[in-house]
Amino acid sequence: MKWFINSMIGYWIFLLVISLGLSAICYQIFLKDLMR
Amino acid sequence: MFDFTVAGHVVPVFLLVLTGFTVGVVGGFIGVGGGYMVTPALIVFGFPGYMASGTDACHIAGKAVISSIRHRQLGNIDWTIALGMVGGTMLGVELGVRLLVYTKNIGLSGVVLLAASVAVMLGLFIYTQIETQKSHKKLEADRKAGKEIGREVKVSKLPLYFQRIPIMPIIKAKKARLVISMWVIVIVGMFTGILAGFLGVGGGFIRVPAMVYVIGTTSHLAVGTDLVEIVVSGGYGALRQSMEGNVDFMAVFFMIIGAMMGAQFGSLATSFVRGPAIRYILSYSLVLATAGACMRLIYVLTGGTAEWLAFVAVVFTLGEMVFLCLFICTLVWFAVRYQHGKSVPDWVPDMVVQAT
Repeated sequence: MKWFINSMIGYWIFLLVISLGLSAICYQIFLKDLMR
Repeated sequence: MFDFTVAGHVVPVFLLVLTGFTVGVVGGFIGVGGGYMVTPALIVFGFPGYMASGTDACHIAGKAVISSIRHRQLGNIDWTIALGMVGGTMLGVELGVRLLVYTKNIGLSGVVLLAASVAVMLGLFIYTQIETQKSHKKLEADRKAGKEIGREVKVSKLPLYFQRIPIMPIIKAKKARLVISMWVIVIVGMFTGILAGFLGVGGGFIRVPAMVYVIGTTSHLAVGTDLVEIVVSGGYGALRQSMEGNVDFMAVFFMIIGAMMGAQFGSLATSFVRGPAIRYILSYSLVLATAGACMRLIYVLTGGTAEWLAFVAVVFTLGEMVFLCLFICTLVWFAVRYQHGKSVPDWVPDMVVQAT
């Protein structure tokens, strides 16, 4: 876990996973039905 | 959740506010809009292509007025070049809007705009990478040779070629300290105007490099002068797009709310985080936005049958925005900690402004 904060690439990956995860949740909750 | 209908399609309000916020943060931070992200993002979120372009153009115009006033105070505008370019810009915007209306009439605005946005974002990513490498090499070479490193790192001799073109009228730009044929300026304005009118963007991402590499101004003058052109192209583009029925003013309203908050935060962040660092991050986030637009393009071209493509397109596009906002927010938080002498990760001090 420390590597994800102390290394810049690790931090990028950490934030990227959070961002993509949040977006996927948003899609499932709010957008899935609207996009059809 | 608040939703409303745009051209028969239901859109959640939070997506519009988030889109406005992200572009506001990027604009407030770097000075150049980021409107090139908005049109493909709106299409990915379900806007019809022509409506995405019109709405983007409308929300850009207001932002550029505020930014150009600021740059005028800083003395970053060459009015000779700006006024000379206006004619070309307006002609270009008119051509761009007519091209958009044509694609709308044949029912291909979404596909054509997505394809154009993918090409623009990919080109922009490659350009940023090459430019960063070149500047870095030049900087290293100057440092090794013991030369003084100034505000500007000149890497191109191309402007000298364009400044020698002997077609009348020749104008003298006092602020930029150069003499050049008016036609070069008008043609640069026209080409960027076509892009602005068609994609609904400000066009700064093409106009700023064009002013530096074709006309030969310095970067800070290019950014200031470009903002004056965005006021013209955005204002005229917004008017023309509204006349063609390509604008949804409710969507513009929510995006401007997000952009106002984002611009305030972006400007605040400049006092904590170094600009070049964010430019580099922004160039990588373009990969995500391009991939999202690509997925949506394939989804549309395959007749909208593969739902997973629409899912991936939204996740990449929304993910890019969330990533940029999270990165800048957390970097500001790290910067504040660093300035108060608290512990931060090793890579943070290189990216943040030192406390004075």
